[in-house]
Amino acid sequence: MTPTQTPNAALRQHAEIQFADELERLQKHDDRQKPPQWKLSPWAVATYILGGTLPDGSEISAKYIGSRRIIEIAVATLATDRALLLLGVPGTAKSWVSEHLSAAISGDSTMLVQGTAGTSEESVRYGWNYALLLSKGPSREALVASPLMRAMAQGQIARVEELTRIPADVQDSLITILSEKTLPIPELGDEVQAVKGFNVIATANNRDKGVNELSSALKRRFNTVILPTPATIEEEIAIVQKRVGELGRALEIPAEAPAVEEIRRLVTVFRELRDGKTLDGKTKLKSPSGTLSVAEAISVTASGLSLAAHFGDGTLRVGDLASGLLGAVIKDPVQDAAVWREYLETVAKERDGWKDLYRACRDQE
Amino acid sequence: MSLHFYGIRHHGPGSARSLSLALARNVPDCVLVEGPPDAAAVLPLLGDAQMDFPVALLLYVPDDPKRATYFPFAAYSPETVAIRFALERGIPVRFMDLPMAHVLARRESKPVSVENPPSEPVPEATVPSPRADPLGWLAQAAGYEDSERWWEDLVEHRRDESGIFEAVGEAMTALRAEMDSQSPLESEKALEEEQREAWMRGAVRAAQKEGFGNIAVVCGAWHVPALQGGLSKSDSPKEDAATLKNLPRTKVAATWVPWTNNRLSFASGYGAGIESPGWYEHLWRCRADNPEEIAPRWMARVAGLLRAQDLDASPAHLIEAVRLAQTLAALRGRAIAGLEELTEATRSVLGFGDDAVLNLIERDLVVGEKMGAVPDASPTIPLQNDLAGEQKRLRFPPESAQKVFDFDLRKPNDLDRSRLLHRLQILDIPWGALERNRSGKGTFHELWRVQWAPELAIPVIQAGIWGNTVAAAATAKASDRAAKSSELPALSALLDATLLADLPRAIELVMRRVENVAATSTDAAHLMDALPPLARIHRYGDVRGTKIEAVAPILEGIGARLWINLPLACAAQNDDAAREFLPRFQAVASALSLWQNEGATAGWQGALKNIAARDSMPGLLAGRATRILLDAEALGADEVATTLSFALSSAIDPTRAASWIEGFLGQSGLLLLHDERLWRAIDNWVCGLSPEAFTPILPLLRRTWSQFAPAERREMGEMVRRPREAAPLRSAGAAPDFDVERAQSVLPVLAQLLGIEMSDSRAAQGVI
Repeated sequence: MTPTQTPNAALRQHAEIQFADELERLQKHDDRQKPPQWKLSPWAVATYILGGTLPDGSEISAKYIGSRRIIEIAVATLATDRALLLLGVPGTAKSWVSEHLSAAISGDSTMLVQGTAGTSEESVRYGWNYALLLSKGPSREALVASPLMRAMAQGQIARVEELTRIPADVQDSLITILSEKTLPIPELGDEVQAVKGFNVIATANNRDKGVNELSSALKRRFNTVILPTPATIEEEIAIVQKRVGELGRALEIPAEAPAVEEIRRLVTVFRELRDGKTLDGKTKLKSPSGTLSVAEAISVTASGLSLAAHFGDGTLRVGDLASGLLGAVIKDPVQDAAVWREYLETVAKERDGWKDLYRACRDQE
Repeated sequence: MSLHFYGIRHHGPGSARSLSLALARNVPDCVLVEGPPDAAAVLPLLGDAQMDFPVALLLYVPDDPKRATYFPFAAYSPETVAIRFALERGIPVRFMDLPMAHVLARRESKPVSVENPPSEPVPEATVPSPRADPLGWLAQAAGYEDSERWWEDLVEHRRDESGIFEAVGEAMTALRAEMDSQSPLESEKALEEEQREAWMRGAVRAAQKEGFGNIAVVCGAWHVPALQGGLSKSDSPKEDAATLKNLPRTKVAATWVPWTNNRLSFASGYGAGIESPGWYEHLWRCRADNPEEIAPRWMARVAGLLRAQDLDASPAHLIEAVRLAQTLAALRGRAIAGLEELTEATRSVLGFGDDAVLNLIERDLVVGEKMGAVPDASPTIPLQNDLAGEQKRLRFPPESAQKVFDFDLRKPNDLDRSRLLHRLQILDIPWGALERNRSGKGTFHELWRVQWAPELAIPVIQAGIWGNTVAAAATAKASDRAAKSSELPALSALLDATLLADLPRAIELVMRRVENVAATSTDAAHLMDALPPLARIHRYGDVRGTKIEAVAPILEGIGARLWINLPLACAAQNDDAAREFLPRFQAVASALSLWQNEGATAGWQGALKNIAARDSMPGLLAGRATRILLDAEALGADEVATTLSFALSSAIDPTRAASWIEGFLGQSGLLLLHDERLWRAIDNWVCGLSPEAFTPILPLLRRTWSQFAPAERREMGEMVRRPREAAPLRSAGAAPDFDVERAQSVLPVLAQLLGIEMSDSRAAQGVI
């Protein structure tokens, strides 16, 4: 597919540009002590992330809705010289928090290494401009610095996304950077020493540990903060509703926005199975092997919406959700199926107003 | 003449330390401590070298031990510090609060409360009133969420001791003035507070009259303004005398009992409790040596704990954790890192963001499992008295000679004795041991080997922390064990024990735990173990007074989970593990006959059919499942014969076939004697085996057959000797071959013996 029109503006702005005004106002009112090279004091960084009111009465919007102490630990970690590892299931705003932290601390969120199975050592350390290398031999000009190397030289925050997807041998090249704070360049007999203010924020999905689990040597160099799933059902419903609305518009699905009640039931199922207990806390449940994250709730709703639009009457019905729901819950065909049946029989069957959901789910089996 | 008021926080290591410094600076000649004067006789024991904290002062009405109050003391309680300070120097020390003789006389007989002081209010579920938690409101005013933390920051983390008690007094004066005008107490509580403070003022005046020149008054911060203000007024003695007129009185006894850190904590429902006894003890010990070491020492203890659990905790981890805790404290504008920061740092650095490690630390370090000990000289405790009373009532004296009792549980006295012994077992007081497996006796017999040993006095005293009567203590302990246990077999055993001990409240609680644990248990064996005791309660609950409505849903829940998980679990067993499952199958089958629930029976039989039909199941279990279905008449004789011959087909591995037979027949071959078709199928199978196949399965078959009764084996032998073709084909349900007329002639006599009326027509047909 080729794009039919070229966008004349970036689809998405960097955080430091989008919220430049807020950062500027915070800076003006920030009279607390700043760690070297930091644009804001730790207190102001926390306020930027969590939102608040400045002395002149102007508002700072909340970038992250959740526990204050999580952000405090994250900021305090970056103020020491330890690196920060943000863990969480998909859809818990890890990258979002990481981007905003680096925007607030360094004023630049672009020192980014995206971790993939194919991430090579060059993208973590440095590469070469081969034309220059061949014509002039090894020199600083022929060196292509990685974002990490640039962050070290400039004393800024570097970000590593999806750390656990990076192959183990490439992960290991981070160890020297994190403990010695230098990056040796043996080809030139030189090194890059990190300037004060340099630090690393890494994010990783704590459900797929299996891909490339962190070695304990690397783990030890991070302070770990787990970003939790939304604390209340209302928060989660709001997130799902907002994202589904955005997705629906982006994908141009010709269906009505789903009713809050359907989303509430879906989110209830997700939360109950994820937490291993009913919402009223009276009954314990088994949890399936899948993550059942907010992101999955969003995708189940979106696919239900698409089903309703193209094969149904345009309104999201429980039957449209059931197939997606089944797929989201049952990842392991034996164990998860038992868990799911147990849930249907012991919880869904008895609940008032859930008869249709129960029937729709049983029909799917 | 001088008078010093020391307003303290109960169990606050910081105020204890400030107090000991203040006392050392200005040594009093008399110390008055907020506490019940009834305990004067046992007060000196607090200085005893054998006293190991935490302990509690127990005051109770000897005739009715349910009316009792505990006053816990920790090593870092300011009261302890003040009393020990005085005892060491030979300074007179007295309790000065309203005597419990008056308080308990008013109180109706109700479950024991734990108090310190008696007015320290139990926090309610809603927001406590300022009076209930005065420091909490001051903390809120200062912008803290939690009063512990506020006090820690303001007082207990202070390095400079001077002026603290004056400041606390002033703050309380302001708070009380505000409180009295804004929300006066309800009359009853106000009266009690008034009386207590009047009594305290009286005690101070009495000490002044005796001529002490420098009196130290140690009491909860809340009371300081009332004492100070009241003593400065000239007409207050008369008013106080009026307040204290005509108080009711009862006889009260006092003693010391061991206490635990766990029961000092808020979580145990103790009103003046603290959230972190273990942390406070740590603070108290470190303070004495070097306050700089609080965080490093704490982290070192955390590391020790983690290493004991085989978790990584290197010195480098500890350095980073301490640094993070200090940075966090700085970010929050606090002088030094407290428990909150240390906990968060531990989670982030040592726990990799996970709470699992924290639970361990919470249990073992922050709260701590420590149990105190009291000197031998402490008077006897109510539990001892109650036990003696029970022994007397049941004519069941403790004797040092070993005796065997055979209780007939249909007799009330024997039943009560049995319950007493079962309760003592829950309390770990091994007076009697239950002898199991006495065949030939009905379920209403219990055989006990009973022997009293003098050392048993120690477990009895230790059990005293659980309650003042055997029944109450056993209930409390069983409930505690239920709360701590997360293993289904342990909980089922506990459920059985509480049933036998007849502790209705504990039974309910244990059942709820069983339900919760069963919900997450993936182990079908555990579920199968939990089902029979619950089915028993469901069936016989009425007799024991347990609410059966509560059991039914739990039972159904466990059942539903079991039916779903059983086939999966069975398929995963090897032959040895499957053998352990056999008795469980039997137990569940008989539990279902007790339960008599159609849905459950259908579910169970569905699961069994699934097991019986699948080739991948261990033969033992498939055979047993078929047998249970046959016995329950869920499978017809024809179907069973088909299943059997299918299981014994030549395509099936002979070893599996042999274990199938073992599972199917169990311990009796009677079935084979009655149903010729089954007999034929097995006979044909054995005859059709090749010699190579026959040799390895011979021991398996022999093991099955050796369990049959000799008479059965003899008859089978005769059947084998008969020529195969000549033997008539018999099967269950085939018409009997006998002389009907002759048989009928005995019916009238038989009917008479059985006491049945027999109509002529039925008699004629030979039907009873």
